[in-house]
Order: sequence, then structure tokens, then C-alpha cells
Amino acid sequence: MATVTLNKLGKRFGALVALEALDLAIEDGEFLVLLGPSGCGKTTTMRMIAGLEEPTSGDILIDGTRVNGIHARDRDLAMVFQNYALYPHMTVGENIGYPLKVRGVDRAERLRKVEAAAAQVELSGLLLRRPAELSGGQRQRVALARAIVRTPRLFLMDEPLSNLDAKLRTVMRAELKHLQQSLGTTTIYVTHDQVEAMTLADRIVVLHEARIQQVGTPHEVYTRPANTFVAGFIGSPPMNLLAGEIRDGAFRHAAGTVPLAAAPRGEVVLGARPEDLALAAPADAHLTGTVFSSELLGDSTLVNVAIGDGLVAVKVGPDEGQRVGAAIGVRVAPAKTHLFAAEGGRRLETQP
Amino acid sequence: MRRAPLARKAALVAAELAVAAFVLVPFFWMVSVSLKPPDEPFAIPARLWPQDPTFENYIAAFRPEFRTYFLNSLVVSLTSVAITVGLALVAAYAFSRTKLLIVSGLLALVVLAQMFPHAAIIIPIYKMMRAGDLLNTYASLIIAYVSVTLPVAIWMLRGFLKGLPQSLEEAASIDGAGPFRVFREIVVPLARPGIIATAVYVLIVTWQEFLFALSFTSTRDMRTLPVGMNDFIGQYGIRYGELMASSVLISIPVVAVFYVLQRYFVAGITAGAVKG
Repeated sequence: MATVTLNKLGKRFGALVALEALDLAIEDGEFLVLLGPSGCGKTTTMRMIAGLEEPTSGDILIDGTRVNGIHARDRDLAMVFQNYALYPHMTVGENIGYPLKVRGVDRAERLRKVEAAAAQVELSGLLLRRPAELSGGQRQRVALARAIVRTPRLFLMDEPLSNLDAKLRTVMRAELKHLQQSLGTTTIYVTHDQVEAMTLADRIVVLHEARIQQVGTPHEVYTRPANTFVAGFIGSPPMNLLAGEIRDGAFRHAAGTVPLAAAPRGEVVLGARPEDLALAAPADAHLTGTVFSSELLGDSTLVNVAIGDGLVAVKVGPDEGQRVGAAIGVRVAPAKTHLFAAEGGRRLETQP
Repeated sequence: MRRAPLARKAALVAAELAVAAFVLVPFFWMVSVSLKPPDEPFAIPARLWPQDPTFENYIAAFRPEFRTYFLNSLVVSLTSVAITVGLALVAAYAFSRTKLLIVSGLLALVVLAQMFPHAAIIIPIYKMMRAGDLLNTYASLIIAYVSVTLPVAIWMLRGFLKGLPQSLEEAASIDGAGPFRVFREIVVPLARPGIIATAVYVLIVTWQEFLFALSFTSTRDMRTLPVGMNDFIGQYGIRYGELMASSVLISIPVVAVFYVLQRYFVAGITAGAVKG
């Protein structure tokens, strides 16, 4: 169990800024997800916490103690790598027991703990196999077991599910969440998959271009994105963003107007999630366009409407599919819209 | 995959056979001569294969000296292999894991070091051995062999180590292992194919080495096998049959080792060739 504090943490590789003065306090027992597209600095941040990379500026504190310059082995943490990093020349049992062996735990104790950890991730019958003889999901479990076999202060997970197929990923995601909650160990988890971030995190840190874009619970990040980047990154499909102008109490766009009370004036970006939009006849809609595509997802239908020179995604019921090319209108629920500054994309607060 | 047309395939096979024959003719001749009675190598017309193969030459080649030479070769080669591989492994690990500019400079020096022909460095090394009073000892040969095989050995192992995923070493250090433990328990076991390939390379080079062995040893009891073959080249004639029989005997251990370990050798040479 541990708290982690990052003070103005920065990393440069020559001229490249991988991370720009990041401030973050991670609470004891928290499941924190670092989310962002590749190259945003999330993996670099994790590697610096792990001790695999030295920061070029700022401090890392674990439980209030500065750990800069302290070797990874002395930081008392466990990490699950994207490629699992299992030792191919050792059996599953030896892999899981390696952290204990290195720390001088005696053989009997080690066996007991390895078996307990293996049982926890349902690997019990496989302890004598080699990693090469395991499936992707089983290797993933070995990596997890190796992380939980000791009781480290901190779990670090670097895209641990990204090499699994979609179905297995969903299963492992649930198991991971369950495991972390039952162990209560502070966990930092890196992913570029916003669904993983939403489902696993207590708090999400959205990173982009070496900077924090937003820190918040999945609910906060989803319902009140701090800027257009977060709005466009979170959600599947992400939030629709329309550039336009607010004049005379309404948002005005080439394809229509949306009445908005108590809104600021000037150039803005209007954001609306696909599920907060509805289809309507062009005559009584806010925005009009033509159906670009209509995809049945099973529990719903995703209709993309060509409006102006962009596409607006609308999520409707499973039997509300539309004919491609038909003229159609989109209704916007004014209370469920988001406004962002046209310049810089910062969120503009409309409600008090 | 599309199958090559038959004619093309046949041409390819023929070309391969021709190359193989070209390479193997000297070896065939070596075996052939070794089985001929003493007067036959000079018979005209020359026969490809002896009329009455005989093992006479082999019996003659197995002189008491052969045992001494063989032991000398074994001691010198195996010790050189052990020292070279040990040093190369540590050096190659440093070269493969450090990004400092000075390290690439050192690596260039290593490459440069192996470019000098043996004939050019033999006299300076001879002088050093004499100054160190090491002439006519195992040490003189071992030192010389280590110094001439080390650059290539470092280069081979470096290529191999660069191909190992670094996340394994990172995982081990997070699991609590210090740098030496990571090297011993993770890097060395994983580098085994590369280590074997390098060892085979050093063995082949040192087992057949002639120039240094001839220059640095002066008494019969210190000679290695290749130098020992000189015994058959006398002032008044060359005993070809026994010479070739010895050659066959000397080749057998290296061929056997290479045959068993060839897959490692090929892997070791090509590792790191495609990237970095």
C-alpha cells in the first residue's frame, strides 16, 4: 500500500519532450489509469515511477519518500509488461517465484506463495510448463501472478491487455479489477484504450502531447470533458464536435441552429455525445444533413449523418436504422451539450 | 507460394552441387591420399581413389607425439575458448546496453583491432612474449589466441545480445535482482545460443592456428597439432600419406563439434544482422 506523488515530473530525450512538468497525487489503494494516444508520455511516466527511466526534472515520492535515483529493485513494486516479459528459460512456477527467490525467501515458503498466487489467477495445473507452451491469456496470468506473489507497495501495469484478443480482454479486464479490489494495492495502469480506462479506473489521467489534459473519475471525464481533446478521445464513438458561433441565444452552424440559453457569445465548439442526440424529420430538427452510414451494433444503431463537411454520429434504437443518402435531421438536447472555446478547446462552463 | 518451374529448379540444384563439389574436392583429396600406400600419391596417371585403400598412414600418424600435440591443442584451444567467451560476453553486454558516445568509439576500435593481419602483429607479439619470458608456454599461445579472436567474439555476442528483449532485464530488476544477478540469471541463460556459436568460432580458429603456434613454441613437447604436422615435411621429402592422415584426424573433432552445433553457429552469425 502506498501513495505516489509526482512533483513537476519531466523527461526529455535530447530535444524531444516526453513529459512536461507533471503534477499528480495518487492515493493509497487507488486504481489510477494513465490514458492517452501513443507518444503522449504515459509509458514514460510509468517507467520513471518504476525506476527504469530517470526523470530529467522533478521528483517522484513513494509514501512521501523521494525515490529519484533509487534502483528499481529497491522501490518495492511489481510491474506487468505489455509483452509480459516472462523468463523463457524458467518454468511458470519459477517465473512466479522469481521475485521471492531474489529476495531470499526460503524454498518451502516460496512454493506455498507461488501456489497461492497461481490459484488466484487460475493457473494451478500449469506450474511446470514453460511460457512458450502457454496461450496468450495464460501468459498474461503468469505475469499477473508474478506481480501479486509478493505484496508490493505498488502495481504498475503497462498495457497488459493489449496483446489479447477482444473476447479474452473483456474477461481479463474484469478479473484484473476484481483482483485489485480484493488486494487493495495502489495500481497505476497505462493504456490507450479508453474503454479499459473507463471500466477499470478509480481516476483517469488523460495525457496528450506530454501534458495532463484532465484528471478525474471516469464519470467526470465522460460527462464533463475538460477540453476538445478529452471530448474527442473518450467515448466510443467519441463526442461529436461542431464548430460554430453563438449569437442571439442560439448556436449557429451552416447546417442549422441549436437554441442555447445562458450561453457565452462568440465562436465556440459545440459537443454532444451520440447517445444525447436524436434523429428527426428535417423540418423539426436543429441540424439537417444526409445519412452517410447506418450501422446496427446489436443493442443500438449508429447513424452517421453528413452535416456540413463533417460527420455527426447519432446513437438510436436497434430498429431505427436509416437508408443511406436520405435527408435527415438531428435534434440536440440543449441540457446535454458541452461548449468549448474555439481557440485552444478549453471547456466553457454553461451551467452554474 | 508459387512453385518454381522444374527447369529452373534443376538448374539451381545443379549449381548447388557444383559449388559443393568445388568446396569438397580438397577434402576428398585429403581423404583419398591418406588412404593410399606411400608410393601411390605420385603414381601417374593419378588415381582419384586408391586402388588398395590402406590404414597404414593412420597407424603411422598415431605416433606417441600425436598424443602430446593433441593434448597441447586441447589445453590451448579450450582455455582460449573459455577466456575469450567469458571476456567477450561481459564486453558485448556493456556494448549492447550502453548508449554513450564513447562506447561506440570503443566499439570501432574493437573492429579496427581485428583488421590487422596476423602476419603483421606476430613479431610485436613475439617480442612481448620474449620480454615476458612466456615463449614456449601455453600462456603465450592462449594470450595470442584470445587477443586475435576477442574482437569478432565481442561483435558476434553483441549482435546476439542486442536481439534479446530488454523488458526481461527490466522485469528482473523490478523483481528485485541487481545488475549482476540480472546478467547471471537472465542474460547469460538467454544468450546461450550466441555463447555456443561464439565458442565454436573460437574453437575452429584456435584449433587450426599454425603461425603463432609455430613461432612461439620451440620444443616438441609444446607443439600443437597443426605445427606437429610439420614433422612429416622433412628436409628430403614430404610424407604425404601420413600428413593427410593427420589432417583427417585433426579435422574430425572440429567437424563433429560444428555438425552438432551448426544451428547455433548460423543463428549467432546472423543475429543482429538485420536490425541495428
